[in-house]
Amino acid sequence: MSKTKKILTHWRVILALIFIVLSLVAIYPNPFTKGVTIRAVVTNSSASIAGITSPKPTATPMSRERITAMNNVPINTLEDYYDFISTLKGNRTVHVKTNKNLYRLVTKPETEDIGLSVYEAPKTNIRKGLDLQGGTRVLLQPEENLKQDEMDILLTNMQYRLNVYGLSDVVVREAGDLSGNQYVLVEIAGAKEEEVKELLSQQGKFEATIGNETVFRGGQDITYVCRSADCSGIDPTTGCGKSGDMWVCRFRFAISLSPEAAEMQAELTKDLPVLTENEEEYLSEKLILYLDDAQVDELFIGADLKGRAVTDIQISGSGAGAMQQEAVFNALENMKRMQTILITGSLPVKLDIVKTDTISPIFGKEFVRNALFIGLLAVLAVIIVIFIRYRNIKVAAPMLFTIFTELVVLLGTAAFIGWNLDLAAIAGIIIVIGTGVDHQIVIADEILKGETGAAYDWKQKIKRAFFIIFAAYITTVVAMLPLWFAGAGLLKGFAITTIIGVSIGALITRPAYAVIVELLMKE
Amino acid sequence: MEEGENQQEEIKGEGIWKKRFSLKEFYDKNYKKLLIIPFLMLVLAVLQIAVQTAVTGDFINKGVSLKGGLTISIDKAVSVVELENYLNNEFPSGDISVRALSSAGSQIGVIIEAADVEAENLLEVLQNKIGKLEKDEYSVEVMGSSLGASFFKETFRAVIIAFLFMGAVVFLYFRTPIPSLAVILAALSDIVVTLAVVNLIGMKISTAGIAAFLMLIGYSVDTDILLSTKVLKRKTGTILDGILNALRTGLTMSTTTLIAIFIALIFAQSLILKQIMVILLIGLLVDLPNTWIQNAGILRWHLERKKKDYIKNE
Repeated sequence: MSKTKKILTHWRVILALIFIVLSLVAIYPNPFTKGVTIRAVVTNSSASIAGITSPKPTATPMSRERITAMNNVPINTLEDYYDFISTLKGNRTVHVKTNKNLYRLVTKPETEDIGLSVYEAPKTNIRKGLDLQGGTRVLLQPEENLKQDEMDILLTNMQYRLNVYGLSDVVVREAGDLSGNQYVLVEIAGAKEEEVKELLSQQGKFEATIGNETVFRGGQDITYVCRSADCSGIDPTTGCGKSGDMWVCRFRFAISLSPEAAEMQAELTKDLPVLTENEEEYLSEKLILYLDDAQVDELFIGADLKGRAVTDIQISGSGAGAMQQEAVFNALENMKRMQTILITGSLPVKLDIVKTDTISPIFGKEFVRNALFIGLLAVLAVIIVIFIRYRNIKVAAPMLFTIFTELVVLLGTAAFIGWNLDLAAIAGIIIVIGTGVDHQIVIADEILKGETGAAYDWKQKIKRAFFIIFAAYITTVVAMLPLWFAGAGLLKGFAITTIIGVSIGALITRPAYAVIVELLMKE
Repeated sequence: MEEGENQQEEIKGEGIWKKRFSLKEFYDKNYKKLLIIPFLMLVLAVLQIAVQTAVTGDFINKGVSLKGGLTISIDKAVSVVELENYLNNEFPSGDISVRALSSAGSQIGVIIEAADVEAENLLEVLQNKIGKLEKDEYSVEVMGSSLGASFFKETFRAVIIAFLFMGAVVFLYFRTPIPSLAVILAALSDIVVTLAVVNLIGMKISTAGIAAFLMLIGYSVDTDILLSTKVLKRKTGTILDGILNALRTGLTMSTTTLIAIFIALIFAQSLILKQIMVILLIGLLVDLPNTWIQNAGILRWHLERKKKDYIKNE
């Protein structure tokens, strides 16, 4: 009894226990979590109009909003959700119950989709990386080297542009290597490759010309693009109409130009002749929009803009379809595309796609199950070997405890700092647990040796064991450091997990193991 | 040299059937001669790597993730040979290889690796052969060749820097040149010999393989540090006692690690994980002679000479 008390009151053991508790709080496991968690909300969709918002990328998995029922039908799994969505029709009211709120949605007349992207509700705060949950990862390299502020603009723009498309669970991160190359890493959970590739391949230089002269470049010259309902959408004055067999709908939205761009526009249009077409007056040259030096669109310039430096401009266009609904939909799609081009199409540089990974979610799930199975089996086998070697439960049992402590604290740290666990990180966990067992064997041998020896001094023995452990610890850390910075960060997760893991081991859990075994063996 | 080798064979042949302590005695008497084994391994490994470089232009077999190309993993059990022949017929210039993805002996899928083929084309042709694939049923990884090359250069550099850092730490820690150099030589031998063995079995190294080599630096140095500490810091007993004391601990360490690696090798589904495990398995086996014969031998030789000099000077 007093032995147990001695162990539990030793500060090394208390420290380890505190870390376990903190880690469990960070991991926040709840195996009974039900429902589907909201990954992203499409802009202007019925869900977003009803007030549902996309989670912040930094939000912890368990704190994200979770749908539990729709129209009083319980939603427990992804299948439940999709089954329910497939029964939806246009212009219906849907009550969405989440763990935080109750929303009343009205589905749009033209589409049944309510604009939510969801995934199976996570049961812990441990973030699974792409390898484990499926998704798309794209590594891009700028064609020329960027200064830090340019890189920042690039990253914000890309993040913004991806968000505009309703993809919010997006990581856009700068990556580098030892040779000074720059990369941009984009990771999108649950997204299809085509979506991402199309989006990213559109990134790049944006400019608008009149008669081969540049009027403005995106980003720097366009100061505002309206996307709210009061100044963008289907044009209320012209609306939709039939043209032959087809329906055509017009959209319009407002933008603001910088004074310089407005001056340029005035300068370039002042001598242009005015043409009349369909009772509307236009200038003879069009405003041509280029993305990546390829023409993406052209706009007629209203005659009233001739020679005037106007900063507030209305942009209009149209969409067509066999049915009115289709035409509205296409018009709004075209508008969204145009808006996106104008807002963020002006990334300062061209980007080359140097690596793409699309990972199937099935593989990820399988992998997690497989890794857990192997881990458990390996730990069991190791403990059996230890028991056979020492024939002493006082050595083996604390070792099992230490292995799990190291695992829990490592996962807790990952959850706390928001680190994504991927394949590389799992390799890191393997090395942490592996060296952990090695170091505990060193400790056990040092302590046990004294039992038979004549003169033994506990402090001396522990000191010697930790002389070895610290040398091994420091060499592992310095061996992993270069990988932190090398090779476009592809193995960064491995380096970080290993360094954090062996640090936890050498500073917290392995000293606690030494204390426990020492106290158990004394007397 | 010739004579020594013969003698060694003879004694080895007898010794195996004797009691354990005779092996200890043999080790005690012949530790200098035994040094031939790890050094021969090192020389052969360097030769292998030199030949490999001369023949292929690279000192390792680079997988698609290091030289550029694409990897498609499919969650369907398909005949590997048949699929490989079919794809190579369709894309004669593609350099396509197909491998089975298996767990505990049974096939659960296939992995296709190809260079100079577009992912879309390959997927299309593939689906003609094995039927429609749903979006969730496959993973595609495409590595640009320039990134592959720079990634390889980078990680290779990372391994070199890691090695130098490790060497510096060992020097600062032990503060004696010969024992520190012995530790560093043992770690270097581990990596070089493992690399040669990996080349010989024809394994293509991926990005994860490089990570495995870094893990190996950590693992192999552990036993060397254990050995040096136990021998240099021992209070009582002979040098041999120190070595044997370390050996007992070191072998327990290696046994537990090897068992864990075996289990992972048998059951792992992920090829990446399997590759890491194969490299670690080879590395840890190579580490045994490099630690307990090479490092221990050099350390003992050095300490005994120092002792002799010390006595002479007295």
